[in-house]
Amino acid sequence: MKILLVEDNERVGQFVIKGLQEAGHTTDHAANGRDGMFLAASEPYDVIIMDRMLPGEIDGLAIIEVLRKAGKRTPILILSALSEVDDRIRGLRSGGDDYLTKPFAFGELLARIDALHRRAQGVDHEIPLVVGDLHMDPLTRKVSRGDRPIALQPREFKLLEYLMRHAGQVVTRTMLLENVWDYHFDPQTNVVDVHISKLRQKIDAEFERPLLRTVRNAGYTVTADD
Amino acid sequence: MMRSSALSLALGYVALGLTALVLFAAPLWYAWQVTIQDGRAEILQADAQRLTDIYRRDGGEALKSYIDTRVGMQIAGERILLLTDAAMHPISGNLPAWPDTVPPKPGNYTIRFDTGKHANQEALVHVTILGNFKLLVGRDNALFRPLQTRFWYGLTAAIAVLCIAGLLVGLITRRALMSRIHSIRQTVSAIIHGDLKHRLPTHLSDDELNTLSRTINGMLDQIELLVHGVRNVSNSIAHDLRTPLAELRSRLEELSLIRPSAEEAYAEIDGAVADVDRVIRIFDALLRLAEIDAGMRRSGFVPLDVADLAANAVEFYEPAAELKNIELTVRSAGPLPVSGDPVLLAQALSNLIDNALKYAPEGGSVEVAVERRGDLRAEISVTDNGPGIDDAEKTKVMQRFYRGDASRGTPGVGLGLSLVQAVAKLHGSALELRDNAPGLKVVMMLPMERSGPSLREAIPPEPKAGAPVAPPTLASLP
Repeated sequence: MKILLVEDNERVGQFVIKGLQEAGHTTDHAANGRDGMFLAASEPYDVIIMDRMLPGEIDGLAIIEVLRKAGKRTPILILSALSEVDDRIRGLRSGGDDYLTKPFAFGELLARIDALHRRAQGVDHEIPLVVGDLHMDPLTRKVSRGDRPIALQPREFKLLEYLMRHAGQVVTRTMLLENVWDYHFDPQTNVVDVHISKLRQKIDAEFERPLLRTVRNAGYTVTADD
Repeated sequence: MMRSSALSLALGYVALGLTALVLFAAPLWYAWQVTIQDGRAEILQADAQRLTDIYRRDGGEALKSYIDTRVGMQIAGERILLLTDAAMHPISGNLPAWPDTVPPKPGNYTIRFDTGKHANQEALVHVTILGNFKLLVGRDNALFRPLQTRFWYGLTAAIAVLCIAGLLVGLITRRALMSRIHSIRQTVSAIIHGDLKHRLPTHLSDDELNTLSRTINGMLDQIELLVHGVRNVSNSIAHDLRTPLAELRSRLEELSLIRPSAEEAYAEIDGAVADVDRVIRIFDALLRLAEIDAGMRRSGFVPLDVADLAANAVEFYEPAAELKNIELTVRSAGPLPVSGDPVLLAQALSNLIDNALKYAPEGGSVEVAVERRGDLRAEISVTDNGPGIDDAEKTKVMQRFYRGDASRGTPGVGLGLSLVQAVAKLHGSALELRDNAPGLKVVMMLPMERSGPSLREAIPPEPKAGAPVAPPTLASLP
């Protein structure tokens, strides 16, 4: 994936670039709004990571607005030290696709970039959703693994559906909270983990190959690969 | 003189009054002048006609003697008479010579002349030509002088009264205004110097200044609250961020000094990251609290179904309750529309359930209940059968960073209940801690949504009030 990072803090910038490189992405780095605007407008990127507050006269939100007005649809993740709900709303209204508050865990950033990229590509999920021998039909709401049907509670179904639609990707706890429960705050407990382990009981417990796996320091993923 | 709005206003009114007076007097004066002029011309015409009749009937000599008699009879100046020959030499009358300004042609003219009593008098004269004689008849304006004088006196007096009254009213208003503004200024300068407790003096009346003072007082209340909030937050930060930061620092310093094996070092680094995460959590919670305290979130109020909110929260915590073998239930009688902030209410409710699950014993029970209380309020409560809270401790638990003895050793930063309290306050309610004997019942009230019946239209089936915030949900995915 080709990524543009617009971030003025050198240390954060290096940290992100290094992490993205290790994850196999090529990254261009702009340290101010002017360069960021230029690169974003002239080069084709898969995802843009935009710091909100930048030195110089052009700030992140202004760049996003200009890009969107110019018809650029590149998915943009806003990185910001402003954490208030209203700041978040303003960021997303300006045309950003996702909003991550600083400080952040790198795993969270990576997972969100993947999700943005996947969404922008408009991946057509085959219906029913299939991961290994796990099948889910969102229309009939039937889930089965191998030839054994699995009964799920409505919320468990939603949780598994989200994980399966992002199969092979890392999904963080925050992403699950936001997308499965519509909770935009940190409940400060491990309730998500409990939900996951309950789900795991149902889909993995009696099978040799676990599909729902924990990714250390990041979140979870559903995958049939090794 | 000091510039003063009250005084300028009064002066403005005086100027307006003067203009009105002039606008009233000027046409009157003009009309009066014209009427008098016409009247006088008519009288002169009659005088001249009478003398002409004498000349026609009895000849020049008779006219001369008639004029002589008239002049001898009358008071000088009241009537002017002059009869001259063709060469303008006076024959009879009370003028010494034919006035230079009057041409020897028939008609009406205005002249100025000196009488014995008054110099430079104005008079209207009528000239008639009678054969070889020229006759000048005139009347001075002395008759109307007193009237004119009275008119001018009256006008001057009116102007004077207007000016003085205006100035006086202006000064008095200014004085009254200045004294009130002075007290406002004193209060404000006390506030500027840092004493936020002062308030502007107000009384019962509803005049402009009073209304303004009340509004300003309201603003001061809010400012004081905000300043308090900021002070509290900075105190809390100083107090409670230091501890984890100190731990983190010593952990890292030790790591740098000892330089342990890679395995051990990684474990220490993971620990340090966890420490930082804890600091960030405290920070976020504090910022969120400050945000709520500032009342900024009230703009986020939308109609929502609190029963639905409670059901979702209970469902979210269900597996966690099962783990502890606690029976977590929700009790509600159908949809209950309230007006509130969905994100904050969900967070508050989740904090309360989290707390209750923490303190309820193994095999205990926690109940979330949503009830209607009259037409205006909805009550939401979370009840557990844990150890409860002593009366003495009840006020303390809502203080920021306070952690009861029972909570030592459990995860949490001690901000949970203060956040719930702040959310309750934002929704216009106090947070009540009641005894459940045994256990604790936490109660908060919410304002009911007024347009109750339209709930179905107001709320989408899935509670997505944070919709602009949320990244597109599954349904919107391609």
